[in-house]
Amino acid sequence: MVDWQYSESIESSNIVSIKKKYSNYIGGKFVEPKSKKYINTISPSTEELLSKVPLSNEQDINSAVKSAKEGLEVWTKLTPNQRSRYLFKIARLIQERSREFAVLESLDGGKPIKESRDFDLPQVAANFFYFAGWADKLDLSWATKSLKPYGVVGQIIPWNFPLLMLAWKIAPALATGNTVVLKPAETTPLTALLFAEICEQAGLPSGVVNIVTGDGSTGSLIVNHKDINKIAFTGSTQVGKLIQKSLAGRDVGLTLELGGKAANIVYEDAAIDQAVEGVVNGIFFNQGHVCCAGSRLLLQESIHDQFVKKLEKRMQSLRVGNPLDKNTDIGAINSKEQLDKITSLVNEGVDDGGELFQTECELPGNGFWFRPTLFTNVQPSYSIAREEIFGPVLTTLTFRTPEEAVEIANNTEYGLSAGVWTEKGSKILWTADRLDAGVVWANTFNKFDPSSPFGGYKESGFGREGGRHGLLSYLKASS
Amino acid sequence: MIDIKKTYKNYVDGKYVRSESGKTYTKELKNEFYELPLTSRKDIRDTVTSSKSGFIKWNGLTPYTRMQILYRLSEMIEGNKESYIELLVSHGTSKQKANKDIVLAIENIIWFAGLADKWEQLAGNLNPVSEEYFNISHQNPIGVVFSLSNSTVSLNNLLLSLLPPLTIGCSVISYSEESSVLALKFAEDINNSDFPSGSLNILTGKFENILDDVSKHVEINLVSLHKEIENEGLKRIQENASSSVKRVVSLPSISGLSSILPYLETKTVWHPKGT
Amino acid sequence: MKNMKTSDVSLQWSNVLEMVYESRIDSVGLNERVNSLATRSIKKDSKLEALKMIVTMCDLTTLEGEDTEGKISQMVAKAIKPNPLDTSVPSVAAVCVYPSLVSIAKEKVQNSNVKVAAVSSYFPSGQVPMESKLLDTKYAIESGADEIDIVINRKAFLEGDYRKVYDEIVALKEVCQDVHLKTILEVGDLKTYENIRKASLISLAAGSDFIKTSTGKLSIGSSRQACYVMLKSVLDFESMTGVKAGIKVAGGIRDAKDAIRYLVMINEEMGPDWLNPELFRFGASSLLDDVLKQIKKLQTGAYQAGYYFPRG
Repeated sequence: MVDWQYSESIESSNIVSIKKKYSNYIGGKFVEPKSKKYINTISPSTEELLSKVPLSNEQDINSAVKSAKEGLEVWTKLTPNQRSRYLFKIARLIQERSREFAVLESLDGGKPIKESRDFDLPQVAANFFYFAGWADKLDLSWATKSLKPYGVVGQIIPWNFPLLMLAWKIAPALATGNTVVLKPAETTPLTALLFAEICEQAGLPSGVVNIVTGDGSTGSLIVNHKDINKIAFTGSTQVGKLIQKSLAGRDVGLTLELGGKAANIVYEDAAIDQAVEGVVNGIFFNQGHVCCAGSRLLLQESIHDQFVKKLEKRMQSLRVGNPLDKNTDIGAINSKEQLDKITSLVNEGVDDGGELFQTECELPGNGFWFRPTLFTNVQPSYSIAREEIFGPVLTTLTFRTPEEAVEIANNTEYGLSAGVWTEKGSKILWTADRLDAGVVWANTFNKFDPSSPFGGYKESGFGREGGRHGLLSYLKASS
Repeated sequence: MIDIKKTYKNYVDGKYVRSESGKTYTKELKNEFYELPLTSRKDIRDTVTSSKSGFIKWNGLTPYTRMQILYRLSEMIEGNKESYIELLVSHGTSKQKANKDIVLAIENIIWFAGLADKWEQLAGNLNPVSEEYFNISHQNPIGVVFSLSNSTVSLNNLLLSLLPPLTIGCSVISYSEESSVLALKFAEDINNSDFPSGSLNILTGKFENILDDVSKHVEINLVSLHKEIENEGLKRIQENASSSVKRVVSLPSISGLSSILPYLETKTVWHPKGT
Repeated sequence: MKNMKTSDVSLQWSNVLEMVYESRIDSVGLNERVNSLATRSIKKDSKLEALKMIVTMCDLTTLEGEDTEGKISQMVAKAIKPNPLDTSVPSVAAVCVYPSLVSIAKEKVQNSNVKVAAVSSYFPSGQVPMESKLLDTKYAIESGADEIDIVINRKAFLEGDYRKVYDEIVALKEVCQDVHLKTILEVGDLKTYENIRKASLISLAAGSDFIKTSTGKLSIGSSRQACYVMLKSVLDFESMTGVKAGIKVAGGIRDAKDAIRYLVMINEEMGPDWLNPELFRFGASSLLDDVLKQIKKLQTGAYQAGYYFPRG
């Protein structure tokens, strides 16, 4: 009998050269921070120091916004066709340097190379290609001449899909005629800074894209800057509310893409084996660091035991390990902070009475890791059934009728996404109609496309990214 | 020393082919003569066979891939800009006008490339029917399109006669009389752009010779005329087409969303909503 | 499954009929899962072991009108010693031939562990009355076959007569007694994944020791998707009855790389227990040659040519 060992099929990190220290990208140049301060960025799978990036202060932000305003003058004077061409060029360059970006993303953020190579990077290129094609035909998008770009847009993005979130922000903003000041997340700044090189290579006019790094204080400075006409934020609901409050009384556009606690509803007439795959993908993809993760499994009671048995068996084959290993399914937790948060919520779940199942797998010594976890015997009142955990932890609840499923699914302040598993078409449509969620995945999960609008109801935010509707996030109605 | 003149051939199914009749016709430009294929009725039959399978392949690609291929075509033409200008000048166009024509042509390819993965969002829609049904209208490309290009020798006009159906997924047979040399030169850039074989076929000749075959051929789904045809001829085309309810459209060479509408078939699907 | 009582059998059937009608598969989701399994890569050392294991799982096959005793003798020699210059390469599991060649095959495999499998039941189409199918099966067994590969009645299946499909297999198993029975579903005829699942469950319930993907006579042979459907059926059947049945994939597995992908799928979906010739087989002809080439390449570091290995 053969002892099957998957190879340590390690992607070489030689393809990317990481600088010891980075600068901000402002006005088409790489500029050292006026603050003279830097923050460290580490690799969460080994805890080793990767680099230092600027901790930008008020002067740095002022400089960035000033450049964005100057860039706006130039950007506005170009023909739509010219703007379109810059975006096509950027898309092409990203395609060409995909491997380099994918490796850097996995090193800096902890996600498996399989994901960054096969999902993140292709989506990044596709987003730039898609929005490039809108730049010269905005008049067709909403058949009205009264939509105009905001001007200078401030964008703050999270650490779970760093480069993809950058693409979701910058591509539509530029296509609609805006210029941007973007701040990547504190723990994952490196792919954004590499992207600045792409802007240079493409010959993008100075000031159209500005990348500034920093922490929460830097974000605040952007939100409060008087010369920014619109803020686009993706991150936690908690911070989103603070931003919305900060903008009260000011005429600044805002779109928010916040947290979620999505219900993955599995009816008894689902295609069970595929539903198991979909549920696994829904919560363990990207270590569960996904705002639209299917973190609540709603099982019809009649199939509960059968389904849980298959699910636990399936979870056992998930491989946790080195993100650069091509066989890794689940990478590192992004930071110590996040790991602590997950651990604390899981402990609460056990204390509340939930039954815990965790896979048996070896975890590497260094770095931040968490085993795939399943809770059964959970009541809707437990914190693990209500709070966003943002980790590889799935909570199971049961229902008996479709009405009950919908009720439980909607019983949350969040409303970003939901999953529906059944082979009966009319039931999919009936259920989708009643779910308070911005994205409904039927018999699938975590599907994304630049042409498909994404965004939430309720406290998951407002505004959409992607598709024809996504353009509206960057266009203002004016007479 | 006599220059060896390049022979231009038809471009069918991803290959360069002579007319099966072996016949050619002459086009005189500035100081040069070109022999061009005089497309015959059998050529039409063979081309349609190719276009049918080309349609399946081309329409079977994702819209994203079609967009990539069209964008690549723009990159090819951009790279050959100078030689296109030269060719237009030898047709008698001023250098300035020629340059303008090529620039506009490339802009339009880029415009249509970016439309490939969006037009469905603009042309299709959900219908708000009054019963408990999900009702959606979506569009399919009509299939094999025969396109007669304009008599003006212009790359932009040539492209506008074939980009709209091509972008939405139709396979196109592009037929040129006066702009034959330009069309067959353009075929070379098609060849370098990853189009599946048969998706875009380029033929030249005298339209009069094949008018009946084209308008009667049941497997050509639509005939689009970008050139003025005298009354007698147009009437004959329409009469022939009526025997298989084939669509015949006379169109100016335009861009914009309305340019794709004639090439669409709308399909509306209903499904109940309930437990 | 041995010597089942009639009451056991009909109890089995009603449960299985329920499972058959509950067969729901989403093909898009299934394809995604199968494709993601193909992204696994295995260690170089494990690869060599895997390749040798593939050899032990091969049923070296020839099923042609032009087969003669001479041809079979050649093939059996290769089956016993696939690479005479390398004794580390094991024998294959079995040779697979038409009934009229079973005797000669049996004679030639003496003093080796290679089994003789025969196709029967009017392979490949099965389009004859039951009497003919029983006759050619009996003949093959009397000639000395250790294993029998039959085809299901696709005519009955596609007409919706599942009971007939089941009854035929039961009758053929009766003839086989302890002779190992593989039932060929012919996935190329069944087309949909749900049909493949239904046919799998029916075949398993009727007493098949193995279910097999294809005859190899259609242009559509095995696929990893079909194998996935079958392995899920085998696992569900095991959880219902405690019985472990095997899987044979045949038709269209051209190279070692593809074969390894099948093994990865079995390993990850079913577990390492299932990776042995008692529970998994490859129907092979050109596959074996590619495996031998890859073994040599791993041992020497150089790509190989076909002429280094004996004809079979």
